[in-house]
Amino acid sequence: MDDWKPSPLIKPFGARKKRSWYLTWKYKLTNQRALRRFCQTGAVLFLLVTVIVNIKLILDTRRAISEANEDPEPEQDYDEALGRLEPPRRRGSGPRRVLDVEVYSSRSKVYVAVDGTTVLEDEAREQGRGIHVIVLNQATGHVMAKRVFDTYSPHEDEAMVLFLNMVAPGRVLICTVKDEGSFHLKDTAKALLRSLGSQAGPALGWRDTWAFVGRKGGPVLGEKHSKSPALSSWGDPVLLKTDVPLSSAEEAECHWADTELNRRRRRFCSKVEGYGSVCSCKDPTPIEFSPDPLPDNKVLNVPVAVIAGNRPNYLYRMLRSLLSAQGVSPQMITVFIDGYYEEPMDVVALFGLRGIQHTPISIKNARVSQHYKASLTATFNLFPEAKFAVVLEEDLDIAVDFFSFLSQSIHLLEEDDSLYCISAWNDQGYEHTAEDPALLYRVETMPGLGWVLRRSLYKEELEPKWPTPEKLWDWDMWMRMPEQRRGRECIIPDVSRSYHFGIVGLNMNGYFHEAYFKKHKFNTVPGVQLRNVDSLKKEAYEVEIHRLLSEAEVLDHSKNPCEDSFLPDTEGHTYVAFIRMEKDDDFTTWTQLAKCLHIWDLDVRGNHRGLWRLFRKKNHFLVVGVPASPYSVKKPPSVTPIFLEPPPKEEGAPGAAEQT
Amino acid sequence: MSRINKNVVLALLTLTSSAFLLFQLYYYKHYLSAKNAAGLSKSKGSRIGFDSIQWRAVKKFIMLTSNQNVPVFLIDPLILELINKNFEQVKNTSYGSTSECKFFCVPRDFTAFALQYHLRKNEEGWIQVAENMGFQCIKIESKDPRLDGIDSLSGTEIPLHYICKLATHAIHLIVFHERSGNYLWHGHLRLKEHIDRKFVPFRKLRFGRYPGAFDRPELQQVTVDGLEVLIPKDPMYFVEEIPHSRFIECRYKEARAFFQQYLDDNTVEAMAFRKSAKELLQLAAKTLNKLGIPFWLSSGTCLGWYRQCNIIPYSKDVDLGIFIQDYKSDIILAFQDAGLPLKHKFGKVEDSLELSFQGKDDVKLDIFFFYEETDHMWNGGTQAKTGKKFKYLFPKFTLCWTEFVDMKVHVPCETLEYIEANYGKTWKIPVKTWDWKRSPPNVQPNGVWPISEWDEVIQLY
Repeated sequence: MDDWKPSPLIKPFGARKKRSWYLTWKYKLTNQRALRRFCQTGAVLFLLVTVIVNIKLILDTRRAISEANEDPEPEQDYDEALGRLEPPRRRGSGPRRVLDVEVYSSRSKVYVAVDGTTVLEDEAREQGRGIHVIVLNQATGHVMAKRVFDTYSPHEDEAMVLFLNMVAPGRVLICTVKDEGSFHLKDTAKALLRSLGSQAGPALGWRDTWAFVGRKGGPVLGEKHSKSPALSSWGDPVLLKTDVPLSSAEEAECHWADTELNRRRRRFCSKVEGYGSVCSCKDPTPIEFSPDPLPDNKVLNVPVAVIAGNRPNYLYRMLRSLLSAQGVSPQMITVFIDGYYEEPMDVVALFGLRGIQHTPISIKNARVSQHYKASLTATFNLFPEAKFAVVLEEDLDIAVDFFSFLSQSIHLLEEDDSLYCISAWNDQGYEHTAEDPALLYRVETMPGLGWVLRRSLYKEELEPKWPTPEKLWDWDMWMRMPEQRRGRECIIPDVSRSYHFGIVGLNMNGYFHEAYFKKHKFNTVPGVQLRNVDSLKKEAYEVEIHRLLSEAEVLDHSKNPCEDSFLPDTEGHTYVAFIRMEKDDDFTTWTQLAKCLHIWDLDVRGNHRGLWRLFRKKNHFLVVGVPASPYSVKKPPSVTPIFLEPPPKEEGAPGAAEQT
Repeated sequence: MSRINKNVVLALLTLTSSAFLLFQLYYYKHYLSAKNAAGLSKSKGSRIGFDSIQWRAVKKFIMLTSNQNVPVFLIDPLILELINKNFEQVKNTSYGSTSECKFFCVPRDFTAFALQYHLRKNEEGWIQVAENMGFQCIKIESKDPRLDGIDSLSGTEIPLHYICKLATHAIHLIVFHERSGNYLWHGHLRLKEHIDRKFVPFRKLRFGRYPGAFDRPELQQVTVDGLEVLIPKDPMYFVEEIPHSRFIECRYKEARAFFQQYLDDNTVEAMAFRKSAKELLQLAAKTLNKLGIPFWLSSGTCLGWYRQCNIIPYSKDVDLGIFIQDYKSDIILAFQDAGLPLKHKFGKVEDSLELSFQGKDDVKLDIFFFYEETDHMWNGGTQAKTGKKFKYLFPKFTLCWTEFVDMKVHVPCETLEYIEANYGKTWKIPVKTWDWKRSPPNVQPNGVWPISEWDEVIQLY
């Protein structure tokens, strides 16, 4: 076949042959010209009619389609339209751009400017010491996180390591030192800075200045450092100017499946940083929890108000635990944010909840108080049918059986007028003083920190006389005042159903938290069945207390109550001790006892008619104030009430800190 | 040449017709399947009219809402009226046994449903599903009026209306929100700029022209045209509410401005008065509602609502208006039974009737009866000592719902005109001394009661 060549002669022959066939055919037809004419015309007519009928049919169908729905066409059209709309939006802003970043580090001032906009400026005295870290989105240049780690103080470097590890690869990291940032910058932190490619960071010395711009897991984009010449002086101020090339939006985003949840996740993760695995590309942590529903949930339709400020990381942690609690109904949750802060709102949107922002009114404690009022009013307005509202704060962990606890106890609030609230928090429930998750108390103090408020109490009593903005009052202190409380009591559990983890706050600092909140007991057992809930009603509770006191063994009052040996090494017994309490407001001995027991001693909490109930060494431990308490009658005549001398004045109590 | 032309024409025609032939073959399949479907539904006992687009749209929508747990109920006035007329029939038919499509196949542009917002489970997953089913939906959102009364709160917007279109028929889903005062509220359908004005004939919508307020209806499940739907237990009560459902919001912004200028009175006495006035108003409303007598906030109470969204603490009484044609003779007895004894009665049903009841804590309830003339309304006043009559003239007004001290109550829709008639243009300035015979700009002397009638028209207790 390869060497076959077409002969030039064959072609004409073939053509001629074809032509002759054609001619024969034509000739035959011309012979029946009349017939042919007829056929032709017929064919043309037929064809024309077909065309017309078809066109009509198409028109009819069009109309039918627009009228009927069975045809899948409109749907397809719609989907196509969607498909066409989506991609360009995601593609973002055309060509690659460059960010112009300025970072300044000195003794008394730091600032960071991105494209001429100052995103950080701190020249306040006695504030903002340490390493300031800013995270920028590598595609948009938006500030995603802003933190300061006072690495002059202990443990702050650990927080910094934690934070930097959470930042997604590819983000732009900016660090700058104000005043001093090296004293407690330990090896782990230095190693991390080294792994980021920093030269000077790992070698950062006493009072050095340092400015750094780099991509997480990528190249260093600029670094400047100035050593301090002597112990008593600081390094020269450094100003780092550098260009940061922006990458495309695709590179900055993860490729999660396109679901409603992931859309929320994507929106969140493109805006903020520092929330750990929620934005992990490979294995993101869930943002929907669907905990088990509670059978016979009495609080399913009780609105939950979360009072928040600008502590988005706290809010994130809080909402995670809240949404994981059994029996939670997310549509009943409203987060009230004090101020127009974006990041807390982003956190709220991430979880698909309702968020409401509140223009700040007044200052400090009064601001918190006004925020509470607006939030409570709004909650009862939004849920006009609700008889109760659950009030939570952004720095609380919520126990897995929080709603179960409320569901089992909320009827008390309906049936017993002598109740003020139900609270999830036991002020005296520390690791070493709380034991029984099924046990409830009545107390005269309002603990807050996760509590239930009755609508009628709020609408009829509290709202009309709520402290006005110019009165710089704490709302909770105000609520504890006798004019408001009017002798009513709160129900609390022995083991708290909330945990106060906030360290940064209006009335909070690290020391205070360590001393009073860290060792608080927190229930982690799901589905605890509360014991004998109806015995918490006013009269029944007195019967219960009398029963308890009758069976309680009287402790040896000659021993020092602060010593561990004051209570015998038994388990499951009930003991009673009598302390001196001359009048209803004489808490001298109690305060000293609380101090040496390492429980809340800043004011009096957890008392019920001069009686305190707690656990010691797994034994129920009752303390009765004699003679003020009506339970003094249970004191055997031979027992002399314990008296503890308050310490001399100059020692003083730690701070004026209060719990909010 | 002509030969060739003819051939070309022939070839072209052949081509076109073959193309059409192919198309026909392709289309035949669809045509057949559609026919089959129609035939099938017909073969299920002669079901007439069930292929109408209205019925199909409603069916799909009901399927969607029950699968997605969207708590909706039917509020379409046209269909509710039909259901009401044929209620026995609706009650007696069980699912699937209907032979004729009587209700949902009625030609119309919209079918209106209400969404009980507080009962919804998941926020908006159903819209996605609806769109996959072939609906085209738009959503109208706005800010939450329940937050308006509170200073300085700004929340996420709430959905007010959804319109989901399936071919030529649209489902209008009105979002009913719960409000304080045990009623349901729906918002105004205001189209934002990006919304296609021709999406549906918006003008023909039965709901959304104004915000509306409704008593919370009890619901019942019925089977209508083979579809299970929830409808109000008393469909006609609901239908009759529709034309009078217009709701106006209190002017919270202006009220705040008012309080910035004239500080709010938060003394113990003021708070006590507000509390008793509120209780009295609630009691009066309960009593009148039981009698089925419509009333509205009048005089000082109306001014308090309009100017400061609250009870004026120094007003000393609660004022209500009632149209004289709604007067019932057992009204006095009903109030007495409710613990509000008659304090005085002026005038008579034919002329200048006014009743006054004694509430708790020295708060008085005044009820003025309004008489309608061709171009104005008026109510009367009587001076007990002299028997002098007065007439207070008002421009004509209609009634709207509003929310006042956690209650759904009526006020004149044309509130500003009403208040200006009564208090003049300076109504914004608080006045503590008010002479009801002289101060109102709309007061007119109206003669004197004849002495012979005094016993009847001036009764003091």
